[in-house]
Amino acid sequence: MGPLFLPLAVGCAVAIASALGVVVARRPVYAALFLLVHSLSLAALFGILSVAIVAVGQIVIYSGAIVVLFLFVVTLLPSGGRELAAGSGRILAACVAAGVVIVALAAGEAAASLPAPEPAPDAALGVAAVGHALFGSLLVAFELTAPLLLVAIVGAVVIWRRHEPTPRTAAPTRVSEPRRLVIHR
Amino acid sequence: MSSEALVLATSAALFAVGAAGALVHRHPVAMLMAIEIMLNAANLLIVLGARVRGGADAEGAALVVLVLAAAEAVIGLALALALFRRKPVPDVDAAAELRG
Repeated sequence: MGPLFLPLAVGCAVAIASALGVVVARRPVYAALFLLVHSLSLAALFGILSVAIVAVGQIVIYSGAIVVLFLFVVTLLPSGGRELAAGSGRILAACVAAGVVIVALAAGEAAASLPAPEPAPDAALGVAAVGHALFGSLLVAFELTAPLLLVAIVGAVVIWRRHEPTPRTAAPTRVSEPRRLVIHR
Repeated sequence: MSSEALVLATSAALFAVGAAGALVHRHPVAMLMAIEIMLNAANLLIVLGARVRGGADAEGAALVVLVLAAAEAVIGLALALALFRRKPVPDVDAAAELRG
């Protein structure tokens, strides 16, 4: 048990509690705020594990972009985020599935013979090492994230425009109406 | 209990909580939030592996997973809003048809 055990335990407790809050919260605004707490606690865990660049990425991308995107969408909800009630059979099935997932993961963890972890030197996880990895062995994946984000943005616009109720072609006639009135006067 | 085992157990618990949430909810935005929790659990596991093994590759992979989560959130929320246009109180089970 190292000196980092207590901060790790606190971070893990906050992460699990806020994840439960996201799932249990009845209103989407509260769920989004719990998601913010969850994301920040994970960033703290990454920081404790001294993986600083992922911690910064978690804060900037997750807390800064994704959670704010969720909050924007929640404010756009027409019904204020009302939800049809989940049946008890549905809740029971979800609990059973979650239990199966936990048991399977624990069994896999017990079956895998984990070697004794050797503490990694901090230089191996520094920004320079990550940069070498991103532009070396992970180059294809890293470059493909750019078209992925572009396609995601274009896809979101296409999904939105396809269901647009009124075409935007009626505007010029509306403009010409008052001008005719002015001429008759 | 070692620190590694604690983080491993946390990751498994987070994944299970996210899976339960994705199964229980019928609101698309709530489902997406549960899926984000599952992604975070996987990312925590990747970072733990990077820490234990000292691999910078895994750290880069964790960053790529963050970008993937952003793209997934954009598309998922656009689909959710498209669903809200048809029904003010949506049910993801009701949207069972695709139309091109």
